[in-house]
Amino acid sequence: MDFPQFDILAISSALLLVTTFGVVVRRGFLDWLVAYRYQAIALSAVTAIIAYVTGIWEIYIAAALTLAIKAIIIPKVLTFVTQKIKLDVKTEENPYVSIRMSVLISAILVALSYFLVQEITIKSDAVVAAYLPLSISLFLIGLFIMVVRRMALNQVVGLLIIENGLFLFTTALTHGTPLIIEIGIFVDIFVGVIISAILLVRMSHTFDTLDVGKLESLKDG
Amino acid sequence: MAVEPFFGVASWAMGIFQTVALIAISPLIAGVMGKVKAGSQKRIGSSIFQPYYDLLKLMRKEEVISDQSSWIFRVTPWIVFVATATAALFIPFFVSFTPFAMAGDLLLVIGLLGLARFFTLLAGLDVASAFGGLGSSREMMMSSIIEPAIFITIFAISLTYGGTNVSTIVTSASNAAVSSPGQIIAPSLIFAVISFFIIIMAETGRIPFDNPATHLELTMVHEAMVLEYSGRSLALIEWAQSMKMAILLALLVNIFAPWGIVSAVQLNQPGAAIVISPLILIGKMMLVAILVAHVETRVAKWRLFRVPDLLAMAISSSLIGVVFFYL
Repeated sequence: MDFPQFDILAISSALLLVTTFGVVVRRGFLDWLVAYRYQAIALSAVTAIIAYVTGIWEIYIAAALTLAIKAIIIPKVLTFVTQKIKLDVKTEENPYVSIRMSVLISAILVALSYFLVQEITIKSDAVVAAYLPLSISLFLIGLFIMVVRRMALNQVVGLLIIENGLFLFTTALTHGTPLIIEIGIFVDIFVGVIISAILLVRMSHTFDTLDVGKLESLKDG
Repeated sequence: MAVEPFFGVASWAMGIFQTVALIAISPLIAGVMGKVKAGSQKRIGSSIFQPYYDLLKLMRKEEVISDQSSWIFRVTPWIVFVATATAALFIPFFVSFTPFAMAGDLLLVIGLLGLARFFTLLAGLDVASAFGGLGSSREMMMSSIIEPAIFITIFAISLTYGGTNVSTIVTSASNAAVSSPGQIIAPSLIFAVISFFIIIMAETGRIPFDNPATHLELTMVHEAMVLEYSGRSLALIEWAQSMKMAILLALLVNIFAPWGIVSAVQLNQPGAAIVISPLILIGKMMLVAILVAHVETRVAKWRLFRVPDLLAMAISSSLIGVVFFYL
């Protein structure tokens, strides 16, 4: 009988997946942001592990930046906006696909990405083998959330999950892009979140809802 | 994967002793959970031995049986109790194997618990009270969704430890815990333990699924089915319910945190380990029971039609556990 060996790569990716599912299963606006914060902390830990395994010190800076921007600043901005918005219900009431179906579909997406990556025969090391399928599953789950949820805030969180997946993809596959590009991407994300925060506030002022489905119906009246 | 070939008289005595201990101690776990729950809600709560007093009181009470009921109603408490007690025979409690393991595996344990639940369902329908039917239909809905989660979780566990036999699983787990502690935190087991915890809450009717403390028609599931029982029958059903809790907690503790359990080798050379291990195990079960009680305090009872959300979470978690095993 062979036991699965203790490997920090697989366990960290499992923890990152657990935090990602937090966004899928919850309904409340603040719950998503809390789950996103935990996901960012896990992502930062994963990045630090990549840095430790590959021994490239620049990746530690990327991990620290991830922790600072994605785990602290972005959730703070979005939490501030969420508390500022005056809405009666701050939950996802009826998404296009029900919560329980979306949990199951997300699990299937994870399984799919792991099995697909096994089919690709690339010459790879342990980091790529552990984190490439993980990044693809983060990407798919984020895309899925953006497609099936009605609330604009949830779609923003979905976009951020996609971005986390892409960040993990580049870091795992290339062992770190040059630092200047890394910083550029972080600034890009930060500005994107600021703009979407402004959009959320404008949207709730104008339409009294964050439901993107309701935006279309206003064209008739 | 063979269990240790150790079938002496001592082994059988040990097997029976640990089963009896599990059955005897199960009301205590329910009592501790009640006490912790009361404490976390700023109440004093009843003594941790209250379930024993309740059982004694119910044993002495007169039993009232509806004249509209059939033999199913009368026979159900005995079937529920015996099926659950038989399931307890297959659980390695504080020795990492049980001599009865050659007769059945984890699937049989689930099957016996399923048998008990099936007869509870029938008894709920049998007396033709409105509450019984309501409870039975709710229980049927929930159990049909719990079942796939249980089975995929068992797959994830038994793939990792090489067999569905509980003794094999626990022996492998305790060996792994001794030889290399890191192997216990395999990613497939992380997902399996999340799923297993949700299953425990669902199977034993804890708060997000069912509220064991009320008799309110909106919330009760298990209580609605056994509403017509009184006296000795009710005592048997309640004892079986706390036994089920103890069985599932013992499984959780022994599979996912098997430190301090006595292996077959240690049993051959008596020492301090045999005395300490029951205490360690009961302590660990109490810790999990306290955790369950705190979870119960923190969450509200979920609307019945949101309950499948949680079970979908259990299913997908165990599914990912299986996927991680094949990496």
